[in-house]
Parts: sequence; C-alpha cells; structure tokens
Amino acid sequence: MGLTFSKIEGKSREFYLLLILLSAFTLIGFICFMVSYISGHHVLGSSSIIPWGMPITITIYLIGLSAGSLILSSLTYVFGKEEYRPIARLAVYLAIILIFGAMIGIALDLGRPEKTWRLFMFFVLNNMRSMFAINGILYGGYFLIGVIYLGAIFAEKVKFIKMMGKIAIGWAALVHMGTGAIFGFIATRPIFFSPIKPFEFLSAAMVSGLALLIIAVVATFKFTKRNLNQELIFSLSRLLRILIIVLTVMVLIDKLTHLYSPHRDPTIWLLTGPYSWIFWGLQVGFAYILPMIILFHPQYGKNIKGVMVASFLVVIGIFGERFSLVIPGTAYPLPFYPGKIEGIWGMAGSFPVTPVESFMSLGMFTLMGLLFLVGLKNLELLPVDQSGQQTPEPAKT
Amino acid sequence: MVIDLDKCVGCQACSTACKAENNVPHGSPDEQRSRRDIFWNKVIAVTNGKYPKVNTELIPMPCMHCDHAPCVTVCPAKATYRREDGIIVQDFRRCLGCKYCIVACPYGARSFNSKEQEEKEYHRQDLPPDRNVWGKWPFPTRTHGVVEKCTFCFHRIDQGIKEGKKIGTEVVPACVEDCPTEARKFGDLDDTGSEVSRLLASRGWIRLREELDTKCKVYYLLK
Repeated sequence: MGLTFSKIEGKSREFYLLLILLSAFTLIGFICFMVSYISGHHVLGSSSIIPWGMPITITIYLIGLSAGSLILSSLTYVFGKEEYRPIARLAVYLAIILIFGAMIGIALDLGRPEKTWRLFMFFVLNNMRSMFAINGILYGGYFLIGVIYLGAIFAEKVKFIKMMGKIAIGWAALVHMGTGAIFGFIATRPIFFSPIKPFEFLSAAMVSGLALLIIAVVATFKFTKRNLNQELIFSLSRLLRILIIVLTVMVLIDKLTHLYSPHRDPTIWLLTGPYSWIFWGLQVGFAYILPMIILFHPQYGKNIKGVMVASFLVVIGIFGERFSLVIPGTAYPLPFYPGKIEGIWGMAGSFPVTPVESFMSLGMFTLMGLLFLVGLKNLELLPVDQSGQQTPEPAKT
Repeated sequence: MVIDLDKCVGCQACSTACKAENNVPHGSPDEQRSRRDIFWNKVIAVTNGKYPKVNTELIPMPCMHCDHAPCVTVCPAKATYRREDGIIVQDFRRCLGCKYCIVACPYGARSFNSKEQEEKEYHRQDLPPDRNVWGKWPFPTRTHGVVEKCTFCFHRIDQGIKEGKKIGTEVVPACVEDCPTEARKFGDLDDTGSEVSRLLASRGWIRLREELDTKCKVYYLLK
C-alpha cells in the first residue's frame, strides 16, 4: 500500500461556483418533477403510445455507467492490476452514486412515485415473475454491495475487499443483464425483443462506464492539479477500443437477426424512419465509428485530448443508443391485424421534447455531479500527489 | 366475448358506451393529438388492397383478457391480475404507474391516466344531480398516475351474480348491451350450451395476434 488517498480541499472559488451551479440545476429539476407530479404526467413527453420517455432512458444509461464503472474498479481489487489502483476508489464511488441516480430516475418515471417502496417488497407484494421486480432485488442489492465494498476499501481490509469485489463484479454484470432483460423479454415490441439484449446492455455498460471513468479521472486530476500518469489513460483507452469492437459486433448481430422476418418491418423503420438519425448519427456515429477512428489513429490515439474527445463521443453515443432503443421501440405501431391500420392507431408515436422533462433530465445529471463533488470533498477518493506539492492528510490505515 | 365482424358497422357505439359506463374521460383535442386520451375500447379500421379493389375491415378492440396475459407477467406490483373467472383486472391502489404493462400489451389495450379526474367530469345522466342522494360512485373510482384498461364491466357481472341473474343474457358488459347490430356476444366460453360457444362452433373465427400465444378470450367471427 504505497499509495495514500485524500480528500480534496474544496475551498477554491471554482469549486463553490460549480457547487452552486449544480445545486441550482438540481433544484430546477426537482421543481420540474414536482410540476409533473402535481399536474400529471401530461407535461412530460411520454404518452400511452410511448409510455417510457427520458427518465427511463437516463435510468438505463446511468445503470450502464454504474455497472461498467464498478466492473472496471475490480480490475485492481480482484485481478490485481496495480496500475489502476489510483482510480479504483473513484470508480467504486462513481458506481454507487450512479445507481442511486438510476433508482431516482425510476421513481421519477412512476405515475405514483410515493409508491416506490412497493418495488422493494420482494416476494410479499411483488410479482416475482416480472423482470421489474427481479431488477428491484438487483438494484437494491447492488447499491448495498457497492456501499459495503467502498467501506471495505476505506478500511483497507484486503481479504474482505477481494471477496466483496468478486461479489460486486458478478452482481454488476447481473444488474446490467437484468436491465437488458426488461427490454429483451418483451415479445410484443420487435425492436426490444432479442435474447442478445442482456449481453448487448452489458457491453454497452462497460464501454460507457469506462469512457465516463476516463473523463472523470482526467477532469478531476486536472481540476485538482494532480499529476496524471498518462500511460494509465492510454491503457484504459486500449481497453475501450476492444470493448467498442465487442459492442459493435453485438449490435450488428442484433440488427442483422432482426432484419429477418418477423421483425423486419420495424427494424427497417428504425434504420430509415424518423428516428434513424439517432441510430445512425448518435449510436453508430458517436459511439462506434468516430471514437474508433480517433482511438486507432496513430497520432490522436496517443494524445490525452484525443482520448478525452473519444470518451466524450462514446458517453454521448451510448446515450443515443439507449434513446434509440426506448423511444422507437415503443413508437412503432403494433400490428393488430394484417393490413394497413387506418387513422391514429396505425401511426407511429411521436415524442415531443418538453421543457419540464428536459430540465428534469438535466436535474438528474446535475444531481449526480453534485454527489460526485460532495464525495470528493468528504471522502478519501483521490490519490495523494506523489510529487509532494500538496500536503493532504494521509488516509487512515 | 365473441365479435361478429360481419355485423360490425364501425359506429363506435361500444367505445361511447364504455366511456359512459366506466366514466372514462372523453379527452380534449390536445390530448388526442399527443395520444394521451384514454381508450378502454377502440375500433380500428384496417385496409387491404388499393382503390378500386379495396377492403376495409372494422375491428372493435376491447382488452382481450388473455389467458397468458403479458401484462400480468410483467406487472411488478401484482396490480394487474387474473381473476378466477378469467377477467384481467387492474387494481389502482396497487399500481405504481411504471407503465411496463403498456409496453408489454400486444393489443394496445392499456392507457395511462395522467391526471386526476375532476368531479365535474363525472357525467352520469341517469343519476340524480345531487350526489348526496346516491352516495358512493356507482363505478370504479378513477385516480391519476395509474394504468387503466377494460374490465369486461366486472362490476356488472359481480352484481349480476349476486342477484342470481344469468350472465350473458340478462347481464352483459356495456359495449355488448349498446351494440346496435348485436355484433358482440358475451358469455361463458367453458359452458358448451352458451350462445358464444354455439357461435364459435357455427362459424370460422380468429383471435388477434395468435403468433404471440396469448390465448386471448375475444374471438372474431369472420365475414
């Protein structure tokens, strides 16, 4: 344990400015939630045709980031890769706040958020055949495991950390595959229905989690003026390359199998219809092609800025992937009867962007940022700068 | 329930009767545009072919009350469940409003009620205007933030059974009662002597979206 960790000081003007800005947006998000709760969900973009809107999209996105981040932290604690130790604490903390945000996202999307507790009445009030109820166990357990894991890391109990790390890595994979199963098991919606969905979700989680981790690490180290080991970031970016390839193959297989009947028409509609720009532009362009070009480029791939840009693109692109699953998946009209269904029942649903929903979504993200900053200030997450320019208190042993 | 497609004229009387009986709001034009209006029963028109050789079928679609109901499987809170007589009902007190059932329903039978119903929206012409006279609402109380759907008018059926009436002839759901062409018939599918069983034996029939194996209990007699 040559490495010690510390809190950040958090007394600079920029820190407080950021804190106030994030709090303001979180407050606006909360007000928007209250508006949607009091006046009803009609202020959001979702409808009876597209029942799940932005909150659910963000939720599965955050779960993805969380699971990916936790799995990567285990590289150090389970597989013993010492070079990642400086960022492992950060990764676990990030995983905890992201799953917390995801659970908030689910609650925001409920028509009756005050009944959220019912989701956690396992086997008593819950229908355990529902993927949603099973995921309640997974998410709740994941949050608990994450907290215990982080506690063990702070206490530096090496054996216990290793055991918790093993549980956490398996559980994180389960969480994300369970989330994929929420969509993949619905036979009614052709764009959702696919046995590969859980695995696609898992690889998307790893990709986005890793990309977010790179951004968080580089930004935090820069902001707190710590020396960053560049080789660390490049080894992460090499991992990112491989994971993007895996994800691309998964999505390719998924879409190719769907191009065969009976799911052919909805898939062609997804690839060419009104939402195709999200699929091609955000998902394929931002998440797969552009980052791959940057990361494989002999010059930009060996440059912190290049890696940062690629990670940003991936994080945005994976959000596009979630969006192009949730919204078009339900927007495609159901084929009740062979033939052309006339009128409103044969039309694809549209998803308007409403101000209340947009600010609520923004509030969810800023809440994550706020928790991240608070954690940096109050928990010993960051390694002490080895160059000795700072004199932070060493971590307790 | 058996629906005779040969007799259906697409008058939407069933939709209107359903809205009146179960007090489903009519929906403003704005709600219709954003597709947030609530339908427990709908009638769709399906066109095959091109003018001048064209055929339009009118398909009334209530909830299909499937034996293998996807909505019951996915509901995390046991809010939607299958009664012993096979009717799928929705318990508003248990419903969280997670909308997973809307995603899972292959028939688009479910709607999300986003707003609390105001008292002035309860239009019951057959009841005296003073609420004190008749006390409690004579139909299920509706609430915001939950998912709703057709109940086969189970309040009528339960009342009828209590009074010893014959289900299917004396007591039927509102849409069956209101159908001007008698295209809809309601009864016990297990009872071989009932009219619905007789109709199913007499003609060719289909059920919608059989490929999903929902084993639904709304049968359509073909033209």
